[in-house]
Amino acid sequence: MSYLIDIVLIALSAALINNFVLYYFVGICPFIGVSRKVEMAFGMGCAVTFVISIAAIMSWTITTFVLMPGAPLSAWVAGFFVSSESAAKIDLTILSYIVYIFAIASSVQFVEMYVRKFFPLLYKSFGVFLPLITTNCAILFACLKIMSNIVGVDDPADAWDLGRSLTLAVFGGVGFTIAISIMAGIREELELCDIPKPFKGAAITLITGGILAMAFMGFTGVDSGLKKAMTPAPSIEMKAPQNTAQ
Amino acid sequence: MNWVTIGLSAGTLLTMAVIFSYVLGWANKTFYVETDPTVEAVMDALPGANCGGCGYVGCYEYAEAVGLNAESVSKCVVGGENCAKALAEIMGVEVEARFPYRPVVHCSATYEDRLKKSDYKGEKRCRAANLVSDIQGCTYGCLGFGDCENACDYDAIHVVEGLAVVNYEKCVGCAACTKACPRNIISMVPFKAERILAVTCSNKDSGKDVKDVCTVGCIGCKACTKASSLITIQDNLAVLDYDLYSSDGMEGLVKAVEKCPRKGLVFIGKPSPEDMEAVKSEDLPDLVKPDFKTTVDQTGWRG
Repeated sequence: MSYLIDIVLIALSAALINNFVLYYFVGICPFIGVSRKVEMAFGMGCAVTFVISIAAIMSWTITTFVLMPGAPLSAWVAGFFVSSESAAKIDLTILSYIVYIFAIASSVQFVEMYVRKFFPLLYKSFGVFLPLITTNCAILFACLKIMSNIVGVDDPADAWDLGRSLTLAVFGGVGFTIAISIMAGIREELELCDIPKPFKGAAITLITGGILAMAFMGFTGVDSGLKKAMTPAPSIEMKAPQNTAQ
Repeated sequence: MNWVTIGLSAGTLLTMAVIFSYVLGWANKTFYVETDPTVEAVMDALPGANCGGCGYVGCYEYAEAVGLNAESVSKCVVGGENCAKALAEIMGVEVEARFPYRPVVHCSATYEDRLKKSDYKGEKRCRAANLVSDIQGCTYGCLGFGDCENACDYDAIHVVEGLAVVNYEKCVGCAACTKACPRNIISMVPFKAERILAVTCSNKDSGKDVKDVCTVGCIGCKACTKASSLITIQDNLAVLDYDLYSSDGMEGLVKAVEKCPRKGLVFIGKPSPEDMEAVKSEDLPDLVKPDFKTTVDQTGWRG
């Protein structure tokens, strides 16, 4: 039950409350660059969600088995080649950035080839944007967040499993899709507005993004309230307070 | 940091490199897509800037259009002439001549020529004035508040006596003025010669109605169509077919200009030697080079 609550909270937090774009301000480049048309923005959101999920699976696997302190695979290799005492001190988290970028770039390449073969129309509509996902910081951010929840926890039992990591990634991608689609809708309307000359183009887009981010701040605190509501109340017998007015 | 960590780091990255290259290599073979060798060759010849200047989404789309659909090879803006030549060599075609596109104002009525004028006290912008009726009788012609002048970044279009006039020496053909005009009377035209003929009226009303509102507007009398086959009357308005425009049809066109009772056909662009002769005695101002004072919007910022 508590696992389910955890999953729901992670999902809600990634999609709305701590939205990647509007709360952490990562992935701004496609958010500004590909938000001219709603269909294109939605396509970009779907592509990012797909890539982010693959990258999350890879980063979880690599972090858990290779990178984290005392990771089983690294420890086994160290113990096999050097000594068992050095194996206990293994910590390869310094490699996290380079390894994640490596994994993301490769998975984007793979996705590009796959899409080109089996969905030529989708490939055409993506154009140059598909390779651009490689440099999308939202994906690296998701990987690093997963790592911090595996490495940074005090109790090893609290470390995220694959399910939680994947939930974060998928719903982070969904949140990105929501944000970029809303933005594209607003920008389509903005095309028809009489915008003062100095604000035209990227300026008004950034202002719109800022206001959108402020609107999303309204979700703050929903998670803690939801957690309270979903966790069964501790069954302590409370004596009703005496009514003194009698 | 010790030797074990260093060794393990190197080992990790090497292993990942091997695994990923194997997977990607396998994918590259398995998901191989057959592409036309011509398209590939065209793609290699293009600059690969993906700027969209040719009208296609990216270089690959343009390469496909060139290779498969015999699209014109001279559309790449970035690559320019060399690129066009390279593409022509691959496709085995000739590079066709390219003409610069320049704006033409399809109105020739100055303030005096316009009839049924009334006092307009609203905002001095064409876009605003266009929303109100009865500023002038003609609902097609130039309003003369200079939205095009404000839109121009090159100081190449000016309102002279209430009429937008293009300075073709400064104009670069960016088409900003055509988008700014609320009445859409400025169009981009291929300048096949430095001096080119243009129909300077946009009024599609019948001849009688045009005469009521303008002293120079086209009345659709068909005098020009008899003189030259390049001109047709569409919706009571003379239309010049620029696709057929060439120096061969010049004789007929000159005749048409002479025949036009409203002087609605005029040559624009570089002045002819006769014109230069005619104004020789007058004191012509030197060509003003665009500088800070001339390029800054005099009307100020409209927030």
